[in-house]
Amino acid sequence: MKRTFLAKRNALLSSANLSWGTLALAFALFVLLVRLLAPNFFLQAFTPAFRAAETIDITSHAFFNSFGDTAALAARNEQLVSENAALSNENRTLVEKEASLTALFGDANTGKVSSGVLAGVVARPPTSPYDTLVLDVGQNAGVTRGQEVFGAGGVPLGIISSVTGDFSRVTLFSAPGAKTEGWVGKAGISLSISGAGGGALTATISRLAGVVVGDTVFAPGPGRLPIGNVVRVDSDASASGVTLLIMPAQNPFSLSWVVVRDTGVAFRNSFPVATSTTL
Amino acid sequence: MNTMNLRNGILTIVSFISTILFPWPFTAFFVLTAAFFEPLVPLAVGLFADALYYTPYSGVWPTATISGLALSVIAGLVRRQLRTGTMR
Repeated sequence: MKRTFLAKRNALLSSANLSWGTLALAFALFVLLVRLLAPNFFLQAFTPAFRAAETIDITSHAFFNSFGDTAALAARNEQLVSENAALSNENRTLVEKEASLTALFGDANTGKVSSGVLAGVVARPPTSPYDTLVLDVGQNAGVTRGQEVFGAGGVPLGIISSVTGDFSRVTLFSAPGAKTEGWVGKAGISLSISGAGGGALTATISRLAGVVVGDTVFAPGPGRLPIGNVVRVDSDASASGVTLLIMPAQNPFSLSWVVVRDTGVAFRNSFPVATSTTL
Repeated sequence: MNTMNLRNGILTIVSFISTILFPWPFTAFFVLTAAFFEPLVPLAVGLFADALYYTPYSGVWPTATISGLALSVIAGLVRRQLRTGTMR
């Protein structure tokens, strides 16, 4: 009897009944469970994969670029050689300057830069279907929810939306559904900036404001910080306002390093974020 | 392992790897292809993508999972119709 029972059970659980789809679903549910129960371990486990993706991305760009026109490449090569010599000299100067600044603002090895935390970007769009970044710093480095994230040149990029011990997620200003209060143009007319996805931002403003293509858009930070420029103004004769298409000052698709800072701006209310347990 | 099983396995694994390594439109392409043979793959890859990248905040739904579920349902229905047609 016992033998028959076992045989039947084995028949139900035989590998022949398990399709690839079922296995894939079980795996995805397992991964989801790990993320919910151990978010820090989850990101630690996937970081090597994200790093590999970055390497592949860089290699593939170089590969496809090598198919360019040979004559143009030769000319470009000459130009780059001369630029390289100039940059080498400049680099030497900057190394000296960096040493002086490190002495003034702290130890660069700890990742602390002036009043912020230097963070490497582990995952970014377009691999990520949402406009979010995964950073390799978390609570252990002093990162907390609601802090503002800046790119090169102090360009505001987004807000820390969730944190674990060693990692954090950034919701970019361009994320769909994200709302940021800001200003546009030299006059500093206030407007509500909405994320449009894919690194783009939109805003609606009165036609009388006289916003034109090329006007700079600012976000709050320590003062007004430029986050992008108006690239298109869509107006509808039947509407009182115009819709602005804003391109960010820094391309989120190519971010490698960012700085996380507590700017004291109350973003949490205008920019709803996740809880740390739902990273 | 027969050829069809091997093809389904490769498509499933490539879809998962693509979620991490390639931009999402590539993943969508692989998933669409895999859906013809394994209707559950879109849902699985959608869940996996959201586990990796989704950050819940106001007004944003887990699009990858929802799209995957919709595609899985459509693929399942199409396959059932095709099977019924073959039996006739």
